[in-house]
Amino acid sequence: MTRTPRIPNLGGARAFILHRPHPTVQAITRQLSAIGLIALDCWPELPPGALAADFVFFDADLGFDEQFPWKAGEAPMPLVALIGSEAPGRIEWALSHKADAQLLKPVGTAGVYSALLIARQSFEARKHLAGEIASLRQRVAERQTIVRAVAALSKGSDDERAYAQLRSLAMSWQISVEDAARRIVAMTDEEATSGEGGDDQSHRA
Amino acid sequence: MKRRIEIGILYSRSGSYQLVSDACRMGAMRAIADINADRGSGIELVPVERDPQSNADRYATLCEDIFKTSSARHVVGCVTSWSRKETIPVLEKAGGMLWYACPYEGFEANEHVVYMHACPNQHLVPLMAHVVPRFGANGFLLGSNYIWGWEMNRVARDLIADAGGKVLGERYLRIGETDVSRLIGEIRATRPSFILNNLIGTSSYAFLADYRRLGDEDAAFRPENCPVISCNLTEGELPAIGETGRGHLSVGPYFAPRPAAFASSFEASAYASVQVMADVLSRNPEAGPGEFSKAFAERRFSTRLGPIVIDANTQHATLPVIIGRIADGFFEVVSREDEVAPDPYLSRYDPARTFGRPRLRVVS
Repeated sequence: MTRTPRIPNLGGARAFILHRPHPTVQAITRQLSAIGLIALDCWPELPPGALAADFVFFDADLGFDEQFPWKAGEAPMPLVALIGSEAPGRIEWALSHKADAQLLKPVGTAGVYSALLIARQSFEARKHLAGEIASLRQRVAERQTIVRAVAALSKGSDDERAYAQLRSLAMSWQISVEDAARRIVAMTDEEATSGEGGDDQSHRA
Repeated sequence: MKRRIEIGILYSRSGSYQLVSDACRMGAMRAIADINADRGSGIELVPVERDPQSNADRYATLCEDIFKTSSARHVVGCVTSWSRKETIPVLEKAGGMLWYACPYEGFEANEHVVYMHACPNQHLVPLMAHVVPRFGANGFLLGSNYIWGWEMNRVARDLIADAGGKVLGERYLRIGETDVSRLIGEIRATRPSFILNNLIGTSSYAFLADYRRLGDEDAAFRPENCPVISCNLTEGELPAIGETGRGHLSVGPYFAPRPAAFASSFEASAYASVQVMADVLSRNPEAGPGEFSKAFAERRFSTRLGPIVIDANTQHATLPVIIGRIADGFFEVVSREDEVAPDPYLSRYDPARTFGRPRLRVVS
């Protein structure tokens, strides 16, 4: 069973603030260091070290795509948008970078702590979902393989039994049904190319 | 000729946590009197006092009233976290500063507040580190139904899990509620190793009285077997608790020696708050937040509590951590650690260092 930690472990985490020199940077830096993070400010570009940052705060007002060493929406860490002007174009741009949380400017004496926690949680949730979607996509893409494997196993007779056989093969090989289907299709192809009547028992489970 | 400087005093003179409030007020007033009587000091502090009568909604308006009707920019006041949080927007608007002399639940570092009493790494964490090896790790958590209890118990749940224990119950009472029979019944049924008491005022006194009766009936609930542990219980409340508190534990930056300069850590901390404030103002009566922040970064302050450092990043005081056991009207010191730096966000909390290696159970 997993336990949700209640003491958020932020001590020593590194946060980059991508914003031109401005009181906003000082306000954020003050809050970050009070919480126990290491704050580093930069403008107009993120330095190479930013790739290993735990958080990046970026200016939504004057920001542009080329500032980031990754494609829009593919940041490897939680992002917090610093929004001053609520111009729709700027919000749209911040959204294209998939900011996980936001802070409104001017930044006062609070707000950074909740932004950190919200950003981290939604980043983790997004990453988890993306992983799950990718694996589901991959499985959906194997539909044809499964049909071919069932056809190979049934040899035109009982599809239901062939599918049950595929599942039990997957279980005994301890792989997914899709992987088992791929293996069977590969074997069938091999048999077909290795000549008539070739019945290589060594591949049989 | 001394320069007159007005300062706000915002403590309730009545209500369910009046004993704590009175102790803080007494400390602030004594410090003001001592500074005014000191011929060497170039300033005279003039208290501008308001009484919120323990009504959380009145703190913000009365604080605003202090700023509007006087030249005061510093306020010594607030007991509950609820009232402190209510006051912060007013402080931000007026550029004022609150000197807060009570322990609190942490996770805050406002530029307009100076936190002069303990935060969790200076109370709850060391108290649990002391209690778990001696009594066990299974806790029953109590609290008055507002932010102090909620947040303290939330951190406690994590500490208990890290210590390898279980939370056997978590219960809240309305501030001022004194019917504790159900809590006592649940504690009797679940048999914890210790009880974390975040009840305040009259609820806390009622609980300790009934728990004492439970201990009389069943030795498992005597303080030497299953103590009630608190992070905000001081000498100021011992008269209201009386004999029923004996043997239970509390943690704080100060317990009154006998004879004592101060009756409790609340009084001592409020006194030290005014001392530090006066120290900076006597050098520069116009000092604003920037000058205070600079002074915190550069200086140690000599106070009646000993030398004090205030972390400029968080505006929390470095404090001694003392664990005391209630004796006959006072606390005997059980352990003491000096100069514990504040860590209000528990960013440096390390379970392994706090509780040692995971406890091994005997398997028979």
